[in-house]
Amino acid sequence: MGFLDNSGDIILDAVLTDTGRMRLAKGDGTFKITKFALGDDEINYTLYRNANNPKGAHPSGSAYYDLDIMQSPVLEAFTNDTSFLKSKLVTLTNPSLLYLPVLKLNERTAENARNTDTAQALNKFVVLVDEDTAKYVSDGLRQEGSPAGMIDGITGAGTFVRVDQGLDTTDIDPASLLDPQLYESQYLIEIDSRFGKIVSKTGTATVTPSFNDDNIASYYLTNATDGAFVTNNAITLKKDAAAQTIAGPRGSILEFSLLSSLELQRSNVLFTKVGTNDQTWTDSDSTSRNIRYIDTIIKITGLTTGYRIDIPIRFVKLR
Amino acid sequence: MANAFKPLTNNDIAITRTLLHEAIPLSGTIISGTYDESATSTSNIKNYAAGLFQSVYDYPYLSSSANHVVDITFGYNANSSLSASDSTTVTQQDKKINIYNELAQVLMGHDATGSIKEFKIPGGEYIREAYFLSFTRLLVKDEVSKNNFTMKLDGLDGYRAAWSDPGTEMLPDTYTFPTSNNETVFYTDSPAGEYSVLSCSMSGAVGLVFYQAGIAVVGTGSIKNNIGNVVGETVEAVMTGSSISGSANAFRHQINTIDFNNTTELNSTLYFCRANHNEFNYSSNPTYLSASKILVKEDTADEPVSYVTTIGLYSPDNELLAVAKLSEPLKKTPTTELTLRVRLDY
Repeated sequence: MGFLDNSGDIILDAVLTDTGRMRLAKGDGTFKITKFALGDDEINYTLYRNANNPKGAHPSGSAYYDLDIMQSPVLEAFTNDTSFLKSKLVTLTNPSLLYLPVLKLNERTAENARNTDTAQALNKFVVLVDEDTAKYVSDGLRQEGSPAGMIDGITGAGTFVRVDQGLDTTDIDPASLLDPQLYESQYLIEIDSRFGKIVSKTGTATVTPSFNDDNIASYYLTNATDGAFVTNNAITLKKDAAAQTIAGPRGSILEFSLLSSLELQRSNVLFTKVGTNDQTWTDSDSTSRNIRYIDTIIKITGLTTGYRIDIPIRFVKLR
Repeated sequence: MANAFKPLTNNDIAITRTLLHEAIPLSGTIISGTYDESATSTSNIKNYAAGLFQSVYDYPYLSSSANHVVDITFGYNANSSLSASDSTTVTQQDKKINIYNELAQVLMGHDATGSIKEFKIPGGEYIREAYFLSFTRLLVKDEVSKNNFTMKLDGLDGYRAAWSDPGTEMLPDTYTFPTSNNETVFYTDSPAGEYSVLSCSMSGAVGLVFYQAGIAVVGTGSIKNNIGNVVGETVEAVMTGSSISGSANAFRHQINTIDFNNTTELNSTLYFCRANHNEFNYSSNPTYLSASKILVKEDTADEPVSYVTTIGLYSPDNELLAVAKLSEPLKKTPTTELTLRVRLDY
């Protein structure tokens, strides 16, 4: 895609997304536009030259704070519905807010930590696709030093993903009450459904997702109805901070595990098509085993605040 | 509660209809002359085994870059003076009659008895022998714009001078359809939509142009002895002695220019996306925060600032159905309001 010409009047370049076209073609009434959102995907707010900027405030004054931002070129519209609106503008009625909540991966305990081995899957959660792979890890590989970040793709047992929400600042005491409009009560988890699905951290509770044309499964979770996934973070004491990743006032916690898809369990086609077949893991007795793997990401979005993080995942299968 | 979506009400949505027109100038050099027709690899004229019509492209038709421009065919009615009682004495007579009947059936329809109506100038003569120029949808789009269709033919000498020697300037136009412009009267008794009369500078009303079908019917009475493949060949000789493609060649070589405007009907939905002063002033952009602190604010008294580059239109189930991009970022603060008009064309 090219950049839009920004030398003259402001123009709008509008396209239907692939999902929009698909729904239009279906003719079943699902093409219905009822709301809008504004996005700022191209904007890098670190270019804002006020006193918070490492370079200091712009020497020419506040009128020049956003000079670099206003000159940012804007891309033409993509038709892929997952390519834009990754970061949305948010309506908050209080104009005096100085801090906004974030989503942050909590890896403070071993059961929530990602893999730390460069020879395995550094900084990724690892989903062991089938029983053979899980058994190999528990019987052989684990003895080498309890590899972290391993999720049993058949049962969902083992490591699980935990995301904490709140104001991650030491400027505000965690005992302070989080502004109710900043509390995240709804989450959206998006995962490529060809690889796996989302379950509760114990592997017992499931939620029915919706699917789009790109095989992306969307799981909508709220703390009102999905208590196995979304809970309130009631820890407000600094002394309990060892297990906390949010430094300031805390909101909610999202926890989940993953199961591998039947396609990954029973076929190697996707590993060949979108993955790799030639990595080697070494046992404690120095026996090498070849594995296949697929790297992907899970997108987690707070539907109330719009904040989003991506979680790296590796699906692994013994060859 | 924080919110990233804003509902669109009935007051925010408008439906409009717009007619767009494009000028389509077809020069005689495209229709005949630029490319060597003698070799298949270089010809922009495609003939078919059935021999019922020929297609004109704007580039050698074997190339994937070629665009189909117009189909040309010829036919006459069984009541025509050209129609021989013994069809074997006339080249492709049955096919010429079939072509005439097929197009008459589509464009003129049937009478009360179910018989196919002949082409006829309203209030005037029957057109029993005609060339048919069927322009492709690529050019016509939804319809030919009214009062804009013009076709010019050269005389025979002009044709020979021009096409045998491309460097030679063509002779002045001899025949122009219509004389000034199409009649302002449009006829609606065709099952194929509206049509009008083509008038020739020398012979008066000689043909019909069907706007929605994008077909020009040119009666041969107007061009008589000036389309032959060789000097002095009469139009009757061409029509009876040549195949349909041969007749089309003779006619095509006489074309100087064809000009018309097409029409595209755009049905648009306008979405007025209104951001009030107290809306969309914060961002979920990861660069908006540093340790949860808003970078664009130094203290709580500063007004929040955000920048709009993208507008997303969503379904009730939060699926992104359309995206609009601004050509430059728009600043949004609590002291500004924005109305962004997004138009989707169908």
